[in-house]
Amino acid sequence: MKRIKPWKMILLVTMVLSVFTACSNQGDDASNATSSTNGEATDNLAPPDPLGKYPKLVTVTEVLGYNAPEDSRTPKGIKPEENAYFKDLKEMMNIEVKYKWTVPSSQYDQKFALAMASGDLPDILELDPKNFEKLKSQDMLADLTDAYKQYGSPVLKEYMESDDGFAMKTFESEGKQLAIPSFEDPFLSAQLLWIRKDWLDNLNLQAPKTMDELEKVAEAFVKNDPDQNGKDDTYGIAAQKSLFFWGFDLRGFFNGFGAYPSMGDAQSAWIKDTEGKLIPGLIQPEVKNALGKLQSWYQNGILDKEFALKDENKSVEDITAGKVGISYGEWWYPNWPLNLNMDKDPKANWIAVQIPGMEGPGKTLVSKIRIGKLFAVNKKSKNPEAAIKLINFYIEMGKKQYRDKNQSANGYVYNWFNPRITDPAQIDTIYTEVNKALEAKQQEITLDDGNYKDTADVFKATTDYLAGDTSNASKGVNWGQYFSRAAKDGGWGMTRQLKENKAFVNNEFYGIPTASQVDKGTQLDKLMQESFTKIIMGAPLDEFDKFVASWKSLGGDQITQEVNEWYTKEAK
Amino acid sequence: MRHKQSISRKLFIVFNTLLLAGITILSIIPFIHLLSISLSSNTAASAGEVRLWPVGFTFDAYVYLGEKVEFFRSLWVSVKRVVLGTIVNLFLVFITAYPLSKTNDRFKFRTLYVWFFAITMFFGGGLIPTYIVVKNTGLIDSILSLILPGALNVWNMVLLLNFFRSIPKELDEAATIDGAGHWTILWKIYLPVSLPSIATIGLFTIVGHWNAWFDGILYLNSPDKYPLQTYLSTLIMSMNAQMSSISIEQIKAMENLSEKTLKTAQIFMGALPIMIVYPFLQKYFVKGIIVGSVKE
Amino acid sequence: MRTLKKEYLLHLMLIPGVIVTLIYAYGPMAGLVMAFQQFEPLSGFFKSKFVGLDNFRYVFQLPDFGQVLWNTVIISVIKMVLFLIVPLVLALLLNEVTKQWFSRIIQSAVFLPFFLSWTVLGGIIIELFSLNGAVNGLLTNIGFKPIMFMLDNQWFRGIIIGSDVWKGMGYNMIVMLAVIIGINSTLYEAAEIDGAGRWKQMVHITLPSMAPILILLAVLSLGSILNAGFEQILIMYNPTVYEGADVIDTFVYRLGMFSQQFGPAAAVGLFKSVISLVLVSSTYYAAYKYNGYRIF
Repeated sequence: MKRIKPWKMILLVTMVLSVFTACSNQGDDASNATSSTNGEATDNLAPPDPLGKYPKLVTVTEVLGYNAPEDSRTPKGIKPEENAYFKDLKEMMNIEVKYKWTVPSSQYDQKFALAMASGDLPDILELDPKNFEKLKSQDMLADLTDAYKQYGSPVLKEYMESDDGFAMKTFESEGKQLAIPSFEDPFLSAQLLWIRKDWLDNLNLQAPKTMDELEKVAEAFVKNDPDQNGKDDTYGIAAQKSLFFWGFDLRGFFNGFGAYPSMGDAQSAWIKDTEGKLIPGLIQPEVKNALGKLQSWYQNGILDKEFALKDENKSVEDITAGKVGISYGEWWYPNWPLNLNMDKDPKANWIAVQIPGMEGPGKTLVSKIRIGKLFAVNKKSKNPEAAIKLINFYIEMGKKQYRDKNQSANGYVYNWFNPRITDPAQIDTIYTEVNKALEAKQQEITLDDGNYKDTADVFKATTDYLAGDTSNASKGVNWGQYFSRAAKDGGWGMTRQLKENKAFVNNEFYGIPTASQVDKGTQLDKLMQESFTKIIMGAPLDEFDKFVASWKSLGGDQITQEVNEWYTKEAK
Repeated sequence: MRHKQSISRKLFIVFNTLLLAGITILSIIPFIHLLSISLSSNTAASAGEVRLWPVGFTFDAYVYLGEKVEFFRSLWVSVKRVVLGTIVNLFLVFITAYPLSKTNDRFKFRTLYVWFFAITMFFGGGLIPTYIVVKNTGLIDSILSLILPGALNVWNMVLLLNFFRSIPKELDEAATIDGAGHWTILWKIYLPVSLPSIATIGLFTIVGHWNAWFDGILYLNSPDKYPLQTYLSTLIMSMNAQMSSISIEQIKAMENLSEKTLKTAQIFMGALPIMIVYPFLQKYFVKGIIVGSVKE
Repeated sequence: MRTLKKEYLLHLMLIPGVIVTLIYAYGPMAGLVMAFQQFEPLSGFFKSKFVGLDNFRYVFQLPDFGQVLWNTVIISVIKMVLFLIVPLVLALLLNEVTKQWFSRIIQSAVFLPFFLSWTVLGGIIIELFSLNGAVNGLLTNIGFKPIMFMLDNQWFRGIIIGSDVWKGMGYNMIVMLAVIIGINSTLYEAAEIDGAGRWKQMVHITLPSMAPILILLAVLSLGSILNAGFEQILIMYNPTVYEGADVIDTFVYRLGMFSQQFGPAAAVGLFKSVISLVLVSSTYYAAYKYNGYRIF
């Protein structure tokens, strides 16, 4: 007996100790690393040349959330660390990128939280605004002000100033630039109405301009066998269980009623009232009107009886299968999933129109700023300017002179390369350049800057589509490229029109979620989803008033106050 | 056992056979569905038109699958994981269950140990603390990170412990009188008589290792080290539902996701190897082993 | 002295299991402090702010918590009962099958759905029970009105429970089969000489022999009384059935979507652990006191 007890104790103590030291390790790590950086930070400095080569090899660490390579011509089984960009990078700048880890993008948040918790962050950080805020508050981000000024290439600076520095300013703190944002044109998320032209023609109907016309068209699409297959197998308008989402949802429909409930981020949208205050779009009376209409549409079969159990994949199936011919959606619909429908049914033909409103085309809801992700540098990093140089490098590689080399087939996987900043106005550049080349009947586009590659790809698909050439890709895929980005009456073409006609309303709130939004957001979202779905499926319309009361008392009022505090402080 | 059967017995057998056949069909349906999708044309599959029979029959998906380096790479990782993991797990479960199957008068600290293990069935530290421990024991990015943290499955251990208890005490006692120690009893007596239960637990262990995918995401740092189910999960994971807007790049990714037949072919092929394991283990499910050894 | 020496070996056998459990199960439990912290990954366990019971208060006061807790308990209790009864009946019926090959095919088939993830199965089940699905097709054929199964709170719960039992029944069935196989066949021979029919043999021999494993499975399943099946419900539910199918885990999952709220999640985890520990240990002692049976 007595002989056993001591070793058990020893074992226990060592185990417990090892666990404790394990947990406290991270603190030490941090202090070690900072002290070692100061020593050698200076001896590797190159003169401020955006594309210059370091005299000595500089290694920077990154992490990567990746999607599969887009192009099927990419070499089989290639790994992120084998990306061909890295070879050029080493030759051109003498920089080597090492991945601490790579993970499928759907798991990136999870893995990044673990990295933060274990104090194991890379040099270059790809962040969302929330994580940016966290790292900022812990003072873990390097000041990029000088690095950007000295090393930022003219093209990069041009990109950043394209919105008068609005996006850059969002990530500045006490005069320090802490991140370089990758932002896009906010109109990329403006909704249009997509509609099957061949069905309209079959039934001798015009594309709808008002809500009443839309109702008539949708009713005809339900009852009059628009696909002429002799079967009652179609419904009117695509909808799914999330009423406000990133696609196949009903944001545009609500907008048509002058209602601006949400951008699809499970929060209310915020619009300016007459006194210049922000009010939650979600609880305005226009929303009630829109819900009333949806209720009657559910009744008479314009909405699918089971829309409430569909997700985006199911909606895509319905569109592809030709079960539905009307869907609210953004400019990119032709790219996916309309192209699938085109390939399945050679007769299918989709057009885009501005969203129908009460008395004519309605105004769509658009955010003020559209930030995908941002790039920051770990304070412990020895070469913060390397991040800027990497951005320069990527923009440079898009130029015409690298076109022959820079092909997926050669192992260049662009969507694995970070930090990657593209022209915020790229979509517009593509649109104008391709149209210019088409009108002048050129064989090639004339542009030569960082947008070359993407523009050339769209131009190729466009000419292939117009010539009926399907040797490179299917008709649907070529059409998708053409009709989303280049066609004047296509996705981006129509979006440009609504931009020019000022047919939009801004969502005025673009800060990070306020304290109450974080605390109460989930509850409020559940409340909204439950009430709205039930109303559409036949609950009394006055349930909406109850919803508004609950929404306010369960935290909505508090959020409204916080959002307005932010507004007075930040936005003016 | 061969007696003449009464009418009610015959009726029962007919009913029983039909019922079990029905359940069998119900259980196979999803696999038939998956197989049909994988053998259909991509357009039919993405329009959701395939039910239990291929539409636009084609082997295309399997031809592509043959070129999928990732699939075979991760299949190999899975095989390594299952073999290594099952050996470690079974060994640990076996030698842990044995002492704990003794009665309290033969092993005083039994209850203490049992609760020491049982507590872990209810309490866990959660994702982050577990990750930190795994990291600090140096297992990150190694296949051991998929094996060691769960090396002792308490649930299986309790199961085996209960199986051990049903072994007649006379066996133990006879062996002790013959002068055999615990070690000998464990390997020479317990092992042979408990083959059916070890086969059961072995099956659960194999299946557990085969099906696990999340630990791969957490502990491995590059996709080329992923076991098969981790790799497959990356194919079917839908996009983050909380995205407020979709970026140009994500749309292009969505386009790729529409390769539904190839995805389905991989899911189907991913389940195949493990389906073969069970029939193989079934030969250990033989009646009368215990009785046989008592008679010896 | 003799026993001491023998016990020493028993301790020795437990060392590997104890070490692994200490490191990988008890080590991370330090993370339970998160339940009392406003945990922030960047600050770690040592620098995060302690907030006492705030996390618990926050979760318990959330307006729907009562409803969600009730949903969880009702769904998991029904699942629990069915997970005992259905596999038991299956195992007993299988035991009556005299043709080995048929028995083996059924065993394999019933186990199959276990290999498919809910991401894959969820879609198939939703399709099966939708208005145009096979089930409604069957209903309309025999003259019933079609039912919107997935949009009705009562039906939806039934489908959640039924499909989970269907997917997982093979697991417990195999445990039970292994027990049935281990029953001393001389018992049956003796009963047959006494003229007992199959039914009587089952009631008087098979079931009593299975009692220990049934008690074990029942008691241990109590440990998961607050786990109603997270992944399954998350994939299959929709806003219309939140009322009847939103459970603790889906609720916490949505809490975490806005910003990763580690504190409340850890608090709920701890709450669940304590409840299961209390339930399991009290039934453990009850089984021991009234039946003289030790589960572990």
